[in-house]
Amino acid sequence: MSKMITVTINDKVCTCEEGCSILQAAAANGLEIPNLCNDESVKVYGACGLCAVEVVDDGSGKGIPKLLRACSAKAVDGYVIRYDTERVNRARKIALELLMSDHTGDCVAPCSLNCPAGTDCQGYVKKIAQGDYHGAVEIVKEKLPLPASIGRVCPHPCEKQCRRGLVEEPISIAFLKAFAADRDLEQDTYRAACAAESGKRVAVVGGGPAGLTAAYFLRRKGHAVTVLDAAKKMGGMLRYGIPAYRLPKAVLDREIEEIAAMGVTMQNGVRLGEDITLEQLRSEYDAVILAVGAWRSMQMGCVGEDLEGVIGGIEFLHDISSGEGALPDLRGKSVAVCGGGNTAMDACRSAVRCGAENVYVIYRRTREEMPADPLEIEESVEEGVIYKYLTNPAEIMGENGKVTAVRLQIMELGEPDASGRRFPVPVEGKFETLPVDMVIMAIGQKLSPKGLDGVELTKKGTIAADEATFVTNLPKVFAIGDATNRGADIAIAAIGEANRCADVVDSALKGKLSPVRKPFLSKRQVTAEMLADREKIARCKMPARDAAVRRRDFDEVNLGLTEDIARAEAKRCLECGCHDYADCKLIRYANLQEIHPERLAGAKNTHEKERKLVCIERDNGKCILCGLCVRSCEEDAKQGILGLVGRGFTTVIRPEFLDRATVEVCKTCGKCVNVCPTGALKLLD
Amino acid sequence: MSFRVVVGQGSCGIAAGANKVYDALAEQLADSAVGLGIAGCIGMCWLEPIVDLYEDDTLTMRLVRVGKADAKAIADACKNGDLSALSALAITEEDAAFLTEQTRIVLRNCGIIDPESLESALQAGAYTALKKVLAEGDGMSPEAVIACIKESGLAGRGGAGFPTWFKWNAARQSPGEEKYLICNADEGDPGAFMDRAVIESDPHALIEGMLIGAYAIGAKEAVVYVRAEYPLAIKRLLNAIAQAKAAGLVGENILGSGFSCDFRVKAGAGAFVCGEETALIESLEGKRGMPRLKPPFPAAAGYWQQPSNINNVETFANVAWIINNGGAAFAAMGTERSKGTKVFALTGKIKRGGLVEIPMGRTLRDVIFGIGGGIRDDKAFQAVQMGGPSGGCIPADLLDTVIDYQALAATGAIMGSGGMVVMDDSTCMVAMAKFFLDFTADESCGKCVHCRIGTKRMQEILSRMTEGKGKEGDIELLEELCVAIKDGALCGLGQTAPNPVLTAIRYFRPQFEAHITEKRCPAHACTALLQYRIDADACKGCTLCAKKCPVQAITGDVKKPHIIDQARCIRCGQCKAGCKFNAITVA
Repeated sequence: MSKMITVTINDKVCTCEEGCSILQAAAANGLEIPNLCNDESVKVYGACGLCAVEVVDDGSGKGIPKLLRACSAKAVDGYVIRYDTERVNRARKIALELLMSDHTGDCVAPCSLNCPAGTDCQGYVKKIAQGDYHGAVEIVKEKLPLPASIGRVCPHPCEKQCRRGLVEEPISIAFLKAFAADRDLEQDTYRAACAAESGKRVAVVGGGPAGLTAAYFLRRKGHAVTVLDAAKKMGGMLRYGIPAYRLPKAVLDREIEEIAAMGVTMQNGVRLGEDITLEQLRSEYDAVILAVGAWRSMQMGCVGEDLEGVIGGIEFLHDISSGEGALPDLRGKSVAVCGGGNTAMDACRSAVRCGAENVYVIYRRTREEMPADPLEIEESVEEGVIYKYLTNPAEIMGENGKVTAVRLQIMELGEPDASGRRFPVPVEGKFETLPVDMVIMAIGQKLSPKGLDGVELTKKGTIAADEATFVTNLPKVFAIGDATNRGADIAIAAIGEANRCADVVDSALKGKLSPVRKPFLSKRQVTAEMLADREKIARCKMPARDAAVRRRDFDEVNLGLTEDIARAEAKRCLECGCHDYADCKLIRYANLQEIHPERLAGAKNTHEKERKLVCIERDNGKCILCGLCVRSCEEDAKQGILGLVGRGFTTVIRPEFLDRATVEVCKTCGKCVNVCPTGALKLLD
Repeated sequence: MSFRVVVGQGSCGIAAGANKVYDALAEQLADSAVGLGIAGCIGMCWLEPIVDLYEDDTLTMRLVRVGKADAKAIADACKNGDLSALSALAITEEDAAFLTEQTRIVLRNCGIIDPESLESALQAGAYTALKKVLAEGDGMSPEAVIACIKESGLAGRGGAGFPTWFKWNAARQSPGEEKYLICNADEGDPGAFMDRAVIESDPHALIEGMLIGAYAIGAKEAVVYVRAEYPLAIKRLLNAIAQAKAAGLVGENILGSGFSCDFRVKAGAGAFVCGEETALIESLEGKRGMPRLKPPFPAAAGYWQQPSNINNVETFANVAWIINNGGAAFAAMGTERSKGTKVFALTGKIKRGGLVEIPMGRTLRDVIFGIGGGIRDDKAFQAVQMGGPSGGCIPADLLDTVIDYQALAATGAIMGSGGMVVMDDSTCMVAMAKFFLDFTADESCGKCVHCRIGTKRMQEILSRMTEGKGKEGDIELLEELCVAIKDGALCGLGQTAPNPVLTAIRYFRPQFEAHITEKRCPAHACTALLQYRIDADACKGCTLCAKKCPVQAITGDVKKPHIIDQARCIRCGQCKAGCKFNAITVA
């Protein structure tokens, strides 16, 4: 055995055999010096420059002026080495920026990128295509604990960015999620394991999607979590805001049961400020998360809003969805719903189901600009809802304190506003009077600040929470969801915040609060022309009950996807995200520090995929020319098929001379694919 | 009294028509007693083709810019023995000073001897040093040779300036049966042609130097790696090797000394990076020319992983002189730290361009304004680029810098292999920096991230500057990339690639700033930034410019001032060239 020597790397005393490289010395002692072109199966190459280290003391009390490459520089007894100095970080940063400035690929598919909770859509859609529904749910539940519920109600921003939309129509991602979750709930339901008990206690105020999600992830991390909610049952807006015809309560119950079964304590009927104070929670728990939601409808400020028969959308839906009293009897009545969002949709369709004879939606722009899900608009029309586009309530008229009509100002579209939508302007002197018995205001919602004593609020009246840490002005108190900052948003946005907040709270409970950092990701632009060669396959249709039947009750409209339909739909996925994202060394290193490759933006090598070897596909846009495949083929596999071709920036790796005889030597041993530090190489089935 | 006519036939002479002159002379001199021969390159490019007239082996007259039409007059004069009729062709005293002000060691025989004749070389003293080294009884041991080279202070002339004796000694001390001596004749810097001239003009000087080197390190095989773009050099080298072998100067048991050394010539396929010694070795081994990690250095594990020594042509061409004259004689020339002479290829906007060999320690001013005669057309000197793409530019106020390795390095430039490109004030320094980055970005082997992508990004930034699309912060970004590439690249090509940009920014920063902030090229060289305008007072409305304009950007009525549509103008300059009234200005 050769002599053992001692070096200090990043303060850690490392012993290693004499003659080994600094990189090997670090690895032998559990330290990873970033490197991309090195692998123990091949000879040292020294191309990537990422493994630069600084010898701050060579044993003589003086450092070495030049940075050394840890892969080739030998560890010398007594060296004090660092790979975290400012100089090293700067060198590594620019190397990564240079690499990334010529890296063309999508680390993550655009669907996931556009999901506020970052769910791995591509991942679970693939599992569904393979018929592995529990596996699909396992992937979903890494980001979202309520897939059956959210799959039904989510306005699916994921689908808006789905590249299949450039071919014909997006994948039906949300319904696929609900499909897999339903199957999973039927039997052998997937349940994530929880870490060992941490001994820390967290109170979550509010049992809606945000609160339940925060509880779920904190529980997985081993903390004792109690969810407190003022209502009789958990679920928040999912239960009291969304009508049962969209989300049957039984489905929600099952998913909440799953969370409870993990050991989350749930207490209902506890109202902050009445039954318990924030002060009490702060003293009893190690952390408090406020996820109280926004439960009050906004008012329009027009004359007559105080008349009997004028009701807020949130309040209207709560009465219906609570199932805690009789449904309002609207038989023979005319109802006007003001607003164009999803709450307006829920309100108008619920009004239909309560027997209303005429249901109008008053919206000041046109259908084009309406924020509600187009499918919901379509379904509501099928159910008899009448749309009064380009109208705005000018006055609610009444007799004896009761609503009798609404006077509508006729609008027209003017110049686009800040949101990019054309701004509606009144047509002077043009009005219409609509006789109605009820007006539902679904134009927005706000927070009830009750019980939030001492919590700093924004100008909008929401809780002021830090965007990166969710901390409020009060120590140990975090806030998420509709109650915070910009106010109410869709459920999946609250769920994303909750998930990230759970990470922050967990870090704080472990002693050092670390903010969430948006990871650096490689992205590429894809146009319809680039996908022109794809076969067109129509998007699946969700089977639904007939409008004439479903409008009479609150049973679920959708009948659910069949297995055949679901699997066929899942197979339409283009798999835009990189297959190697989870194992990619390049992206892992790129996220060790903040990098800005855009400042070095310039020409990029083509992302076109080549298939020069029988079963190995090479994506030149992702290749970083580390040469590992070339060397592994020559030195490890003893084939020597690959080589570098060309010079300078356009150098590529190809079978040398593209010789057929050379190519046919490939035994598809896969060694090149295994050593590739990025997703440039892929073994095809 | 016998006359001999010698036509200079280096590549440059041939390019200027020396072959045709030779053929015409051969025709005229057929059946006469006047001899006709060739020589290599004397290094006076601006005077080619050059014909030397020897009378009883003494150079009597040097004729310059000779055409084939002059052949009859030359032949007649030589036949008559009266050269007075040729005085119009004779070199001027001023031009002749180009040579007399030089000290020629490396170029000692260039342009004088017949490069295709061993006998001619032997007459000039070739192989006397080899004979001295290998002499039976009182020869020199390898250690004595190395000691002599050490005393001379000879340093690698390829650019890095590493002490030659040290490399020889390291290769000698390195354990191994098979050792190799390699000559780097992959002269790749744009504007450098010293090594080509030596091989074409005096190949035996290289062979002799290499033989002594091989003897010193213990190599039995010597390889010359020469770029395939030098066909004449390869031809003359192969011819010289064959002649030397036939004469027992190369091969087995040289001069009966027991020392054997065989020669091989390898033509490189034209990759700049193969001038880097480890990439050169990879290429010699039949692999893609890419630099290796050092250590191990070639002296320990080089060609086929055996101890190897690599020097360039100029370095070897000094060796025989040093052995013959002693290390001290060589060390007597030059400065404290840089000994001997250096050959420069003086090019660019210079009056007298060519090969200049001077002792270290002379100033740049001596070379450019003394030997070179100053700037062509008496324009203003702006800068001199030293060391090609790996070097840097030196501005006017540093013209008194002495030529030695350290003094040049202090300016940010390098000695390099000897390229010396002189620029006047019509050169845009941003475009100049871009030119070199175009070169290095293209020639990067693609191995290192910093070099492959970094030089590309620098080239892109410089390109956008010259196109008027430079952005605030681009200079700083360039500087940041320069430092990163210097630190991060594996080989000399990458490490030195930023030098032209760094020095250009260091000495000519206002030019960079003008391109970015004012979208203006002070040298009026970046066409995208030019603006042609018609002076309404001077314009007579002759319509000529409008007719000349290839893109119909000029409009105006007859006898009325014309105007140029800047959006359409492609800045070709044809309007200005054609205007008879100097009414068109460019800014």
